[in-house]
Amino acid sequence: MREYLIKRIIFSLITLLIIASLQFVIFQVVAPVDPTTKGMMDPGWDIDIKDRLTRLYGLDQPLHIRYLKYLQNMFTWNFGLSFDTRKPVADEMSWRLVNTVLLLGTTLVCTIMVGIPIGILAASRRGKKTDVFAIGAGMFTWGVPTFFIQILFLLFFSYYLYIWLGVRIMPTSGLHTIPPPESPFVFIADVAWHLILPVASLVLSGFGSWALYTRNIMLDALTQDYILTARAKGLSERTVLYRHAFRSSLPPIVTIVTLAVPGIVTGALITEFLFSWPGIGGWYIDALYQGDYPVVQAVVFIYAVLMIIANVLADLLYGVLDPRIRVGYRR
Amino acid sequence: MASSIFSKHRRAMLVKSIKGFWEEYSRNRIGLLGLVIVIFYITVAVFAPWLSTHDPMKPVASAEIFAMPEWMTIFPGRGNLPRTMKIPMSWSPLDMSESMNLVESGEKLIVEYNGASTQTANFTSFFLYTYSAPHRFKIAFSWSAQNVINAKYSIELFIANPAGNEYILWTSYTSRQWTLGLSSSSNNVSKTESFYSSALSEQRFSHIRERLGLTGLENICTSVFTDIGEYRLRVQIKVGAESDIEQGTAEIQLEKTQITILGLVYGILGTDAIGQDVYSQLVYGARISLAVGLSSAFLSTAIGILVGVVAGYVGGAVDEILMRGVDVLLALPVLPLLLGLVVVFGTSVWFLVLLIAVFGWLGLSRLIRSRVLSLKEMPFIECAKAAGASKFYTMRKHVLPNVVPVALAAMILSVPAAILTEAGISFIGLGDPTAPTWGKMLHWSFYTGAFSRLIWWWILPPGLAITLLTLAFVFIGHAVDEIVNPRLRRRR
Repeated sequence: MREYLIKRIIFSLITLLIIASLQFVIFQVVAPVDPTTKGMMDPGWDIDIKDRLTRLYGLDQPLHIRYLKYLQNMFTWNFGLSFDTRKPVADEMSWRLVNTVLLLGTTLVCTIMVGIPIGILAASRRGKKTDVFAIGAGMFTWGVPTFFIQILFLLFFSYYLYIWLGVRIMPTSGLHTIPPPESPFVFIADVAWHLILPVASLVLSGFGSWALYTRNIMLDALTQDYILTARAKGLSERTVLYRHAFRSSLPPIVTIVTLAVPGIVTGALITEFLFSWPGIGGWYIDALYQGDYPVVQAVVFIYAVLMIIANVLADLLYGVLDPRIRVGYRR
Repeated sequence: MASSIFSKHRRAMLVKSIKGFWEEYSRNRIGLLGLVIVIFYITVAVFAPWLSTHDPMKPVASAEIFAMPEWMTIFPGRGNLPRTMKIPMSWSPLDMSESMNLVESGEKLIVEYNGASTQTANFTSFFLYTYSAPHRFKIAFSWSAQNVINAKYSIELFIANPAGNEYILWTSYTSRQWTLGLSSSSNNVSKTESFYSSALSEQRFSHIRERLGLTGLENICTSVFTDIGEYRLRVQIKVGAESDIEQGTAEIQLEKTQITILGLVYGILGTDAIGQDVYSQLVYGARISLAVGLSSAFLSTAIGILVGVVAGYVGGAVDEILMRGVDVLLALPVLPLLLGLVVVFGTSVWFLVLLIAVFGWLGLSRLIRSRVLSLKEMPFIECAKAAGASKFYTMRKHVLPNVVPVALAAMILSVPAAILTEAGISFIGLGDPTAPTWGKMLHWSFYTGAFSRLIWWWILPPGLAITLLTLAFVFIGHAVDEIVNPRLRRRR
């Protein structure tokens, strides 16, 4: 297990190195953006100010020195100054990251809570309506664009209901009402109110594949001999389903949590854009529009870090859930 | 001879297997539904220029902005909404002073003046208007003054509604002065095109409102278009000599005029924020989505097969390197990276296809590799090896044909992802600006306030079109998957 973890960490570092290098190649070598000319043109300036800025940004140094310095900075959480706000990217990122994690975490928990029980039910009632529903939901997840569901939600809950009822049932954008409520309890309720639409739409468009996958794994488990034994012992169907079949299907289900995380992370990009959620996804798109490359680099890097953390977490969880691996770990 | 018999046999086998495949496929109802939908989309895409009414890349205002679909007039209260009208009108003389002379040349009317005193001539034309007041109307009025010697003139344009109220729309002079006869060139046609809008907020209409004799808060269009009936345009030409002693001459030419009324209902799906036809954009969008989806799925499948077969069959260090590369690529945040690459290297549709393909083959290559690993142990590969077949030959002739069916299902199932990626990027606004895509329609509807104005006919059709197309591919993919992966087959 320890060997595995070390291997995993080395592999993650290599992935991050490749991401960082790729970005260096794109933004410094292939399509370099000169920060000395970007947004700092003043005819009253001295002629040597450009030279001074070039030296300040280290652009006078040879490429390999710049590359090493860049890597050092990326891995020490120093993403430089945003071209746009002139503030450190790391500071700007931290509170946005909290918002993104809030959105993604809520979505993940809700999707699991909806998708997996439906999958279990579908497996236990094979060929019945629940089963057909699970299969249909799986196809729905594959085929229906998330942003279209979100557009529908936005259009109906935020705009049509507002016109019809005259009261804003659901907010159209943002993390909280402006200005934010002063009482902390009201503030939390307000944030939760703003979370409903994005999370509900992400859950609706995502639970199907989980339900379908859980169903398939459960079906495999339900045909095993130990289930027959459990039934022969006279255990209730409930116990058989949850204690025996589901417990043994948990590890592979956790594996798809891993596989789903990239989709959720990148899917949240458009979600944040659509609902003006002040997370790193919307920030990333703004930065792309404005050519704010320090921000772009930092966000892609952070996305990679998030994905790696999710993968490692899922692996650890797998170890906790699968006794065979756990025993090996104790030894 | 032997080889030709052999190929004939193989062709027969191929036909047989395709027939068998189709027999099994045609039993799957959902798969057939998907096939029908995709064929419909392909037909629409191929015949887009004939099916559409406008070129979506030419920003021409067909009607008022956010005009409703025309069929919505069947609902009560909407039946009388104005349609788009373009009425060409020719002038007919009403009255004329005796020292003026009328010459008709083709479509033009020429008023010749030769005298000392001020003379007037009136021309008129009619049009029938049967709808409620429009939001905007436009009058294009062309005239020219030629051979003006020692003369001054003025031209005024009026509109009268059925109630008999006459409003002055336009004059050739500013601040009530004569236009002095300086022009003598022959090709000096002045054309005035004026928009008259009901928008109260627009500052530039305040002087028009004043000229029409309306107060600042009155609506131009609803004041003029009060009733159903015959509307009369009148042009008044006044010509006089510069001084009383000498005689002056002038020729005033009137050309055909045209009144344009922008409809509040238009076409099958109304108009967007600049008055463009939505239906035509929708029809053309099928082309881009299908092209992007199919070509990138094809490309990524080709890469996936190549990598999977090579990694699985060659094995060893090659396998290790390829699979570790796949692991690294799988850990990349694809959508953000795609967006960044598109911004840096250009937003062409074909570049996007390439990018989607480059990031789209990873899962497939693993699948193919595992297939190849199990195939490798099969007796027929052993036989080929024993018969002296080279590695490349075995891969091409024995391994490849056996992984193609699986790859086919995976390819069809990867079309939706490609379509959705393209649509998502266009929706964010980083798509190809020169291509009429559904994602772009959604982008502009999101940015131009179509949501708060509930312009569902611009928002829903592109979204529904994408959904239906991707769902159709999912249906087909699942049907094919069930046939090529016997494990998934339903118990009968």
